[in-house]
Amino acid sequence: MILRFDRRILVNFDWTLLAIVLGICFIGVLNIFSAGYSLSEKQYPLYLKQIQWIALGLLCMLIVFFIDYRVISRIAYLIYGFSLALLVFVALYGYTSNGSQRWISFGSVFFQPSEFVKLTIIVALARYFDDHKSLEPYTLKELFVPLLILFVPFILVLKQPDLGTALILLIIFSSIILFIGINWRSFLIAVVVVLISMPVGWHFLKDYQKDRLLTFLSPENDPLGTGYHIIQSMIAIGSGGFLGKGFLKGSQTQLKFLPEQQTDFVFSVFAEEWGFAGGLVLMLLFIFLIVWGMKIALHSRDLLGTLISFGITALISWEVFINIGMVLGILPVVGIPLPFLSYGGSAMVVLLMSMGLLMNVSVHRFILQR
Amino acid sequence: MAADSKKWLKVRIVSLLVFFLVLFIALISRAFQLQVLSGQKLKTLAQKQHTATLPLQAERGVIYDRNGEKLAASILADSVCADPSRIAEPSRASAQLAQILEMDKNAIYKKLAGPKNFIWLARRISPDQAVIVENANIDGVFLVKEPKRFYPNGELAAHLLGFVGSDTSGLEGLEKKYDELLKGKSQKHVWTRDAKGKRLFPHADNEEAVKDVNNNLVLTIDSRIQYLVETHLKEAVQSKGARGGIAIVMDPKTGEILAMANEAGFNPNNIKGIKPERWRNRAIADSFDPGSTFKPFLVAGALDAGIIKEKDKFFCEWGRYKVADRIIREANSKKHGTLSVPDILKYSSNIGSSKIAEKMGREKFHDYIEKFGFGARTGIELNGEAKGLLRPMQKWTKVDTAMIAFGQGISVTAIQLISAISAIANNGILMKPYIVRGFTDNDNRLVKMYTPTVARQVISPETARRVTAMLTEVVDASDGTGKNARIVNVAVAGKTGTSQIFDFSRGIYSRDKVRTSFIGFFPADNPQVAILVILDQPQHDKWGGVAAAPVFKNIGEQILNCYKTNIRENPVFDQDQANKLQLVAAEQNIPAPITVDNNDETVMPDFQGLTIRETIKIAKARAIEVSIAGSGWAINQYPKAGTPLTEDRSCKVTFSVSD
Repeated sequence: MILRFDRRILVNFDWTLLAIVLGICFIGVLNIFSAGYSLSEKQYPLYLKQIQWIALGLLCMLIVFFIDYRVISRIAYLIYGFSLALLVFVALYGYTSNGSQRWISFGSVFFQPSEFVKLTIIVALARYFDDHKSLEPYTLKELFVPLLILFVPFILVLKQPDLGTALILLIIFSSIILFIGINWRSFLIAVVVVLISMPVGWHFLKDYQKDRLLTFLSPENDPLGTGYHIIQSMIAIGSGGFLGKGFLKGSQTQLKFLPEQQTDFVFSVFAEEWGFAGGLVLMLLFIFLIVWGMKIALHSRDLLGTLISFGITALISWEVFINIGMVLGILPVVGIPLPFLSYGGSAMVVLLMSMGLLMNVSVHRFILQR
Repeated sequence: MAADSKKWLKVRIVSLLVFFLVLFIALISRAFQLQVLSGQKLKTLAQKQHTATLPLQAERGVIYDRNGEKLAASILADSVCADPSRIAEPSRASAQLAQILEMDKNAIYKKLAGPKNFIWLARRISPDQAVIVENANIDGVFLVKEPKRFYPNGELAAHLLGFVGSDTSGLEGLEKKYDELLKGKSQKHVWTRDAKGKRLFPHADNEEAVKDVNNNLVLTIDSRIQYLVETHLKEAVQSKGARGGIAIVMDPKTGEILAMANEAGFNPNNIKGIKPERWRNRAIADSFDPGSTFKPFLVAGALDAGIIKEKDKFFCEWGRYKVADRIIREANSKKHGTLSVPDILKYSSNIGSSKIAEKMGREKFHDYIEKFGFGARTGIELNGEAKGLLRPMQKWTKVDTAMIAFGQGISVTAIQLISAISAIANNGILMKPYIVRGFTDNDNRLVKMYTPTVARQVISPETARRVTAMLTEVVDASDGTGKNARIVNVAVAGKTGTSQIFDFSRGIYSRDKVRTSFIGFFPADNPQVAILVILDQPQHDKWGGVAAAPVFKNIGEQILNCYKTNIRENPVFDQDQANKLQLVAAEQNIPAPITVDNNDETVMPDFQGLTIRETIKIAKARAIEVSIAGSGWAINQYPKAGTPLTEDRSCKVTFSVSD
């Protein structure tokens, strides 16, 4: 029954979504190729690795696509629990790089469970709210379990430390809560609690995290230190001009002035070489993807599908906004990758899996009987 | 789901979508602001970051002699510069550099520890040093190729060429006079550098910048003649114990200077420690009393004005002639009775000359002196030309007139003298002397060519012919004063001269300090070269005929040897010659000695200006065995470049370091 093949799945397959996703991935590979173009040839080129990750991701996407999302929802807590177990494993035995213990190492391949959690938390929350439908806005009391679903991974990720991912978890949660509806009083209380916890939380931030936030407020204070990233990013993007410097011709990228150019700052590479025009096209592709995702959420035949597709779309929207906002210097530098463009295996596989889930919901509106 | 719940969902989704769209519009606006509105500013910032600029002088033009031989060229030498901000251990680096560059350690340390991010450490070091610096591989220390002026022939024509300073701008001589022309436009050396400040590659457009608009100078000098003139002058100065000497060779028909030499010379490749006195081009900058070499102009003037006839006789008072309060004597206390005009020249009679001048009168005499070009600059293209001293005629006393007749009491320059005698050689036409034949552009196409300029007709051709005949007699006659200048089979016209040097401290003419000279031209019937030789204060053979005349003769003989049958063939500048020049120049690979196009496998390559390493490399490729003498850049080779290669593939190359 689970793998029952339905001809309608093929007929109604969301080709548009696949095309956009593949298009963005293609741009991403080109961009990583360019970012790594002037690196030494000793390393295995990242763009090839990225292509392999995309291949793996597409496979996962296919698998997720073919399992009815309602079936997936049935084991949502199980999957969520599994992802928590992975996080705990990371906390205990994880691989540390740059002072953060984020990865599980399989020899030369690394897996980052916190990426996976982004998706499992959405599915778990969708399952929870699907189980506890209410036409009235939820109160804090009713939100106790969802809050628990958030906080366990949130704390674990924050401890790694991975401020960016923790933030994304919080934002996805908030988006879903706001979407599903929250009691005004509860909402105000939550806001007050967050505001109070902020100065407290400041103390728990690592120095470099504090620096980043301060730097965001005035990057020119320390142009060679913490402000370096953001200033170089703005120079690279700005010097691209309207039409850009051309593929492989971004001087700031190729001469390595731009930091983290294959991960967090990929957009700067793209914007330097393809200019405002290229950046606009990329952002329009993302907007199209988001609109498409929202459309799927809207047309889903059940709340579960709506919540899953909304959650995934919101995840992508926020990540894109925060990442691009960050490299454009209007948001602080927090380590949030640009979906489909930043190099990173776990993120790519999880993203493609979520796209599988999105297609899954998309196709089932034609299949599900009311 | 219920219908209203469906509607409720729709409202939320759409409003959240709108919210996200607003966020994205914010992103797009920000991108627009960065990339379009302030794009130019950020572009400039980026440019500043990834390029490093260093202004460099364009390669200086070459100076050629009339045959396309390089007299001054530019080669590329390494200069050491540093970026102190990138030097981790300035003390270690300065110790290391001090040893290699043979400089003061503390001075280097001071520079390296300073706040600047670019400094020169040493300019134009020798190739050997450059290799050591390169191998030392000190972080933050770079080598930059800079053009360095190189005078392949060392001392040859040094006074004419002058030299350049450390920034390769001309400081003396033709280098200074034609500085703008030779210099070309200053160019910028642009590197791309990466985030670590590492210089990656010079910008592509830089290569073209090197081929800048500069010009090459082509001189009228013939380096072969220049060489033999310098050699003979030097030898004479040494053997006669003279303080110095001047020699000029001119083509009397064109005014072209074929050679101009000062003794002692200097090496423009290395001017450190040489006093400015030494590089003074005395041939144009110093004036002196010409002595008896001045008599031909008196005679020419008097004849031309019709005041005297060739057959006129003058009573020479047996060696003692009183003019006002002065007693005029003959040189060497000779005593002459009655002399004809030619004899006055032949025996160089002072009294006879005085009498001619008296008969002529100071107005006419002064007039002719001026017409011969004395008392005014000739206008030769060299800096620092003196006018000499020709006092206004109104101030001349009788004694003045009498003494100027034999060249005392008037100051002339060597260039004035040779020009004036050339006028006699050239049918009475005074030519403006010149030394620059023209200049060529980067591709060695002739851009500008100077042609001979007539100053004026000084005396009639007939007079000129007669004076020439008399001067020929001076040399030819067995009792002529100029007999030591005789050249076998060639009629030489000439005149000796010995002038007492005016002792400024005592205000009188010195008795024992003399300047001895010989002036003349040949062949008398169709003069091709005029030569002036002056020896300053010789200790032996003080009297002109003995000291200077043989130098004239030696130079003359060798010039004749050089040109075999027709001396004019080469010196004459006609259009054909100009074309030939281009050809010659093209064959010799003009732009820089370092880019010698040694493609012809059958001839000896041109090593001149190359480093030892480059020389060996080229020689190896051609299976030529080179023997190396000295270090630095190649200055000489035997066999010469272009010599067809024979069985014996060996070449001796001499290297020299300057600076």
